[in-house]
Amino acid sequence: MSDQSSVGGANIEGDTPQIEPTVETDEATITDDAELERTLGLTGGLAIGIGTMIGAGIFVFPGLAAGRAGPAAAGSFAIGALVALLVALPASELATAMPKSGGGYYYISRGLGTLPGAVVGLSLWFGLVFATAFYLVGFGYYAVDTLAELGIAVGDDLVIPLALLFGAGFTVLNITGTENAAKLQNGIVALLLSILAVFLGYGGLDAVGLIGDPSTPEQFAPFGAMPVLTTAALVFTSYLGFAQVATVAGEMKDPGRNLPLAMVGSVLIVGVLYVATIFVATSAFGGDRLAELGETAMVEVGRHYLGAAGAVAIVFGGLLATMSSANASVLSTSRAIYAVSKDALLPRRASHINLRYGTPHIALGMAGGPILALVATGRVELLAEVASFLHLVMYGLICVALLVLRRDEPEWYDPDFRAPGYPVVPILGALASFALIGFMQRTSQLIGIAIMIATTGWYAYYARDVTLKGALQ
Amino acid sequence: MTRVLVPLAILEGESVSTGLPTLLATMDVTVLGYHVLPEQTPPDQARLQYEDRATEALVDLEAAFDAAGGSADHRLVFTHDRDRTVERIADDTAADAYAITGTTGPVDRLLVTLTGDVAVDRLTSFVTELIGDREIGVTLLLATDDEPRGRTVLERAVASLAEHGIDVEPELAVDEPPLEALLAAAAGHDAIVMGEQAPSLRSFLLGEDAERIAAESVGPVLVVREHRNETEAE
Repeated sequence: MSDQSSVGGANIEGDTPQIEPTVETDEATITDDAELERTLGLTGGLAIGIGTMIGAGIFVFPGLAAGRAGPAAAGSFAIGALVALLVALPASELATAMPKSGGGYYYISRGLGTLPGAVVGLSLWFGLVFATAFYLVGFGYYAVDTLAELGIAVGDDLVIPLALLFGAGFTVLNITGTENAAKLQNGIVALLLSILAVFLGYGGLDAVGLIGDPSTPEQFAPFGAMPVLTTAALVFTSYLGFAQVATVAGEMKDPGRNLPLAMVGSVLIVGVLYVATIFVATSAFGGDRLAELGETAMVEVGRHYLGAAGAVAIVFGGLLATMSSANASVLSTSRAIYAVSKDALLPRRASHINLRYGTPHIALGMAGGPILALVATGRVELLAEVASFLHLVMYGLICVALLVLRRDEPEWYDPDFRAPGYPVVPILGALASFALIGFMQRTSQLIGIAIMIATTGWYAYYARDVTLKGALQ
Repeated sequence: MTRVLVPLAILEGESVSTGLPTLLATMDVTVLGYHVLPEQTPPDQARLQYEDRATEALVDLEAAFDAAGGSADHRLVFTHDRDRTVERIADDTAADAYAITGTTGPVDRLLVTLTGDVAVDRLTSFVTELIGDREIGVTLLLATDDEPRGRTVLERAVASLAEHGIDVEPELAVDEPPLEALLAAAAGHDAIVMGEQAPSLRSFLLGEDAERIAAESVGPVLVVREHRNETEAE
C-alpha cells in the first residue's frame, strides 16, 4: 500500500500510515487513481474561522472577563489577538506548504516527528472536545435567556440539560447528514456580523458620549496588570477558530491564497470586534455588574443601549453564534480524529464512513460522547482554559515546526505564502503561546498536562514504531 | 477527435444502458465517476474507503465503451459539489459534449434541437461526426418566433447534414414554447442532441433544461458545450 522506504512503520495492530504521493492543484488534489475536488472558497473559510470564534468572544466572555479585569479586559482580548496573529502567520505558511486535512497536527508530525505529532494530534481531539463543550454550555445559557425573553422563566437549572440536549442533537444531525449546513453557516455569520455592526456602531457612539447620556468612566484597570494577563489566558478560547480553518485545508480552493487570507483575516476581524464589544460593554456597566450578569451579560448591555429590541437581537445572536461555534467544532473534531487515524495513531476503524449517510459516524461519536460528558460538568471557565491549554501547546509547536523546517528546508517544502518577520514572528509566537499557559488556573494546567501525559502513553503503547517525519501523503 | 464526457454517480450504482456505448462508438469518451460527500466527510477519507470499488466499476464501463468500438478512459473524483466537478473535468479534458445517460437500446433516430445558445454549425458538425457512416436518421428541430429566418437556418443545417449522406427531416415549431416543442418531438427518437444553455433565472429555479429533458424523455441526452478551447476557436 504505502511506500515504506523512508517512512511508515506499523502500529500495534499492524496498520501502517496511509501515505501516497499526490499532486496539488488549485482546484483538486490528484492521487494515483482519483481526484479530490477542492470546493471551499475564501468566504467558506472565513465563515468557519469567524463562525467558530465569534460565539465565545462576543456572547459568552464579556461578563466573565470584565468581572476579572474591568475595562482593561479589552486589553486581554487585544493580547489574545496578538498571540493568535503571531501563530496564524506561521500556521498559514505551513498550511500552504501542506494543504491537507488535519491542520496543526499534520505540520507538527511532518516537521517535528511522530511523538510530538501524536501528542498534538490526540490533544487536539481533546482540545476541540473541551472547546465544543464550552460553546454548548454557553448555548445553554442563551437558550435559558431566550425562554426568559419569551416570558418563560425556567432559571439556570435548565442550562446544562438544554446544552446536553442540543449537543446530542448536533451529533445526531452530523451523523445523519446536513446537506446545506455550509451555506447556512455562511448565512449565520453574515447575519451575526450585521447584528454586531448595528449594536457596536450605536453602542460605540453612545459610549464615547456622542449620543445618549454621558457615562462616568470606571477606572481602566481597577485590579492591576496581573488580572489582564490571566484574563487573556481565559479568553484565548475566543481565538481557537483560525486553526480550525487549517483542518479543512485539503478542501480549500486556491489554498496558496485563500488559506492565509482566511486564517489571518478571521483573527483580525474577530479581534477588532472583541475589543470593541468589551469597550461598549464596560461603558454600559461596571465590571462588578457585568460579572454578576455572567455568561449572558451582553443581553443586558443590548437592553441598555437599544431597549427590548437590543436584548432580543443579542439573545437571538447569542443562540446562533454559540450553535454555529459548537457545530463547526464538532466537524473539526471528526476531521482531527480522521487525520490521526489515517496515520495509524488511532485504530483505522475510527475514520470508517457508514454507507447509509456517507458520514464518519465513529469519529463523530468519538467527538460527541466526550463532549456531552464535559458539558455535564458545567464548568465554563475550566472547559475554556483546558481547551486553550491544549490548543496553545499546538500553536507553540507549530511555530517551532516552522523554525525547524525553515532552518533546513527539505526538498518538498515549497510554501506559496512565506510568513513575514521570520524568525522573530515564530519565536515570539512560540514564547507567547507557552507563556499564556502559565497564566491559567492551576486546575486547568493540571488537567492539560494529564491529557498530554495520557496521549504520550498511548503513543508509546500503540504506535511507537510509526514514523511520520517528512512523510507527505 | 471529439470527446464526450459521461458523468456517473458511480458508487450509487449509476451506469450506462447498452445503447450508449454503441451510439458513442465514433467518439473519444471520458467516463467521469464521481461521488458526492456530505461536508462532514473529507473527500480523502471517502477515497481511502471507496477508491478500489469505484475504480473497478469504472474499468468495467471503460471496457464496455471499448468493446462497442469507441475509445474510453476514466476519471474518479470525490467531491462536495457535483456541478463544479463536472465543469472542471469537462474543461480539463476539453470535452465537446457531455452525456446524460438515460436508457436506450440501439439508436436508429436522433432528435437534434438547434434552439439555444450554441452555434448551429457546431451542433451539425458534432452530429456529423457522431453518426459517421452509420445508418442513423436525424430530425432537426428549431423552435422560433421568427418563421422566415428560422426556415433559412433550418434549411442550411439540413443541407450541411445531407451533404454527408445523413437522412434528415426538418421540423419547425413556430410560436411554441421551445421546451414543450422538444418534448413533443422526442417521441419516436432514441436520443437527443442539444446545445448547452447559458444559466438563467429559469434554470436556477427549475433546474437545467437538459436535465429536465432527460428526465422526461427517458433516452440519453448529449449536451454540446460552447467552444472554450482557444486553439479551436478560429
